[in-house]
Amino acid sequence: MKTDNEKNPTSNNAPIICLSNITKRFGKTTAVDAVDLSVMPQEKVVIIGPSGSGKSTLLRAVNILEEIDEGTIVFEGKSVGYVEKKGKRVLDSQKNICALRAEIGMVFQHFYLFPHMTVLENIMEGPVTVQGKSREEAHIIAEDMLEKVGLSEKRDVFPATLSGGQKQRVAIARALAMKPKIMLFDEPTSALDPELVGEVFNTIKSLADEGMTMIIVTHQMGFAREIADRVIFMEKGRFITEAPPVEFFGSCMTNTRVASFVDSIL
Amino acid sequence: MLYSRQTKARQFMRSKIRRGFLLFIWLVLLALPSAALAEGPTQPDQLFRDASNLISAGDYETALEVLDRIPAPGGTDSAADFIKSRVQKAQLYHALAMFDEADASCHEVLALFPDNIEATNLLDSLAKAKKPKWLLFIDDMKLFLPSLIQGAGITLFLVVITMVISPIGGLLIALGRISGVPPLRWLSWFIIWFFRGTPLLLQLFFIYYGLPSLGVTLSPTTSAIIGLGINYSAYLAEIIRAGIESIDSGQMEAAKAIGMTYTQAMRRVIVPQTYKRLMPPVGNEFIALIKDTALVSTIAMVELMRSANQMFNTYFNVNVLIIAAMIYLLFTTVFTVTFETIEKRVGAYENR
Repeated sequence: MKTDNEKNPTSNNAPIICLSNITKRFGKTTAVDAVDLSVMPQEKVVIIGPSGSGKSTLLRAVNILEEIDEGTIVFEGKSVGYVEKKGKRVLDSQKNICALRAEIGMVFQHFYLFPHMTVLENIMEGPVTVQGKSREEAHIIAEDMLEKVGLSEKRDVFPATLSGGQKQRVAIARALAMKPKIMLFDEPTSALDPELVGEVFNTIKSLADEGMTMIIVTHQMGFAREIADRVIFMEKGRFITEAPPVEFFGSCMTNTRVASFVDSIL
Repeated sequence: MLYSRQTKARQFMRSKIRRGFLLFIWLVLLALPSAALAEGPTQPDQLFRDASNLISAGDYETALEVLDRIPAPGGTDSAADFIKSRVQKAQLYHALAMFDEADASCHEVLALFPDNIEATNLLDSLAKAKKPKWLLFIDDMKLFLPSLIQGAGITLFLVVITMVISPIGGLLIALGRISGVPPLRWLSWFIIWFFRGTPLLLQLFFIYYGLPSLGVTLSPTTSAIIGLGINYSAYLAEIIRAGIESIDSGQMEAAKAIGMTYTQAMRRVIVPQTYKRLMPPVGNEFIALIKDTALVSTIAMVELMRSANQMFNTYFNVNVLIIAAMIYLLFTTVFTVTFETIEKRVGAYENR
C-alpha cells in the first residue's frame, strides 16, 4: 500500500495527499480504474479529459463524497476514509470523515451556496457549525474571506441576487473559511457564462499564487496553462498523460488522443 | 213436502231479520245528526271542531269568526274554553303574520286573566316574531355563544397542541423514512401505512374505548391529543419527506464538503430550505385538522362541535349551527392568513 519510492512523510517534501489504486465502479462500468495520484504541498494539479472520463468521481473520492471500491487515500501521512473491520473494508466513522472533509475545501460546478443564508452566513456556517468557533470569530474570518474574493459589498445579500461568477467566488470563500490544507475544484467555471469565467479564474489564480495546494478538474485550458504545475489527461477512468504544462502542451501533443481533445476544446 | 215447508219458514225468518237490521241502520243514521243538532251549535266543543275543520280547509277567516263565537266566561261559560279560543285565534293570526290582531287576542285573555301563562308566552314569541331576523340572531348569539366559545376554546387547544406535536413527529418519521438504517425505515413506513390507512375516528375510539381493555386508561383529552398527534404526524411525515427530497442533493454534498455531519446538514441546511415549500401543504393539513377536531366529540370531549350539538338538541335552533360554522370559519381564516404570511416571510430569500 505504501508508495515507498515517493518521499518519506517526514519533511515538507512529503505529499499532502496520496491516492493509490483508486477504483470506483458504477454497476458494470468502471468510472475510475486503479488510479494513483500524489499531490505535494503547494502543488497545483489540473485534470482534464472528456466528460465521463472519471475526473469528477476521482475528485469526489478524495473527500469521500464518493465511496471507492478499492484503493487507499493517505492524507498527511495517515490513511483516511476507510477502516478494516472483520477483514472487510468499510467507511470510517462519520466523525473522522467529517474531520477529514473539514481540512479539504471543495468547490462545485453548480456552487451549491445555501440559498436561505446571506453571503456572510454562508461563509460563517462552516467555522461556526463544524469548527465550533464563536459567531464573532467566524464573522471576522468571513469578512476576511469575502475581501479576498472581492465581494465585501455583497455580504448581506442572499445568493439568489448574485451572478454565477459571484456565487462561485462566495463558494470559494466558504471553502477557504475552513482554512483547508488543499482545495478541490470540480469544474468551477463550467456552469458560468463565458464573460463570468474570468473573475472566477482570477480568484483561483490569486489563491494559487498564495501557495494553496489544489486539484482542479476543468475543461478550461487556461487553468492548465497558467496555474498548473502538472496537467493530467484522463480518459476512461485512467491517466493517459501526466506532465508539466509546458511539456503537456508541447511534446505530449504527439499523443493523438490528447491532441484531438485539446483541439476540440480550444 | 216437508222439505219445502222448512225452506219457506227459513226464508220468512231471513227476510224478517234483514228488514229489522236495515231498519236499525236507518234509525242510527237518522239519529246521529239529530243527536248532534240537539247539542246545539253554540256548544264550544263543536265550535272548536268546526274551527279546526275550517282551518284544515284553509278558510281562516271563517275559522276566526267561529272561534270568536265562544263567549267570555261568566255564568256557565267556561274560562278554559274562552282562553283556549283566544289563544287559538292569536296563533292563527300569528301564522297569518297579523301580529297586531294576534297581540289583541292575547290581551283579551290577559285582561281577564293577567297571570295566564299561555297568553304571556305567546305574546313573547309574537314580540320575537315581530323583531327583524338579524336582531333575533343577535339574541341567539347571546344565548349560545358562551357555551360555544367554551367548546371553541377546547377545539383551539387541541389544534394548537397538535400543531406543535405533529410537525416534530412528522419530521422524525420522515427522517426515519429516508434513513440509512433499515429498521427505522420499516418502522416509519409502518406508522405511516397504519395511521393514514385507518379512519381517525377508529383510532380515537381505539385509544379511548379500546386501550382500557389492554389495561391503559386515558382521559378524553390525552386520548384526543395522542390520536390527533399521531395521525397528523403520519400525514405530515410524507409531506416533509417530499419537501426534503425536493432539495437539490448538491446542498447535502456542499454541507458535507465543509465537514458537516448528516444531522448538522439536515438541521442547518436541508430542513430550513423546506419550510417555504412545506407551508402550503402543511397549511392545508392544519385546516383539515381544525375540522377533524370535531371527531373527538365522540370520545366525550366537549369541544365546539359537541357543544353546538348539545345546544341544537336542546333548542332545535338552526342558529346554533350557523354560529358554530362561523367560529370554525373564523379559525380557518386566521390560520390561512397566518400561513400565507409565514410562507412569504420564510421564502423571502428566494427573491430578495
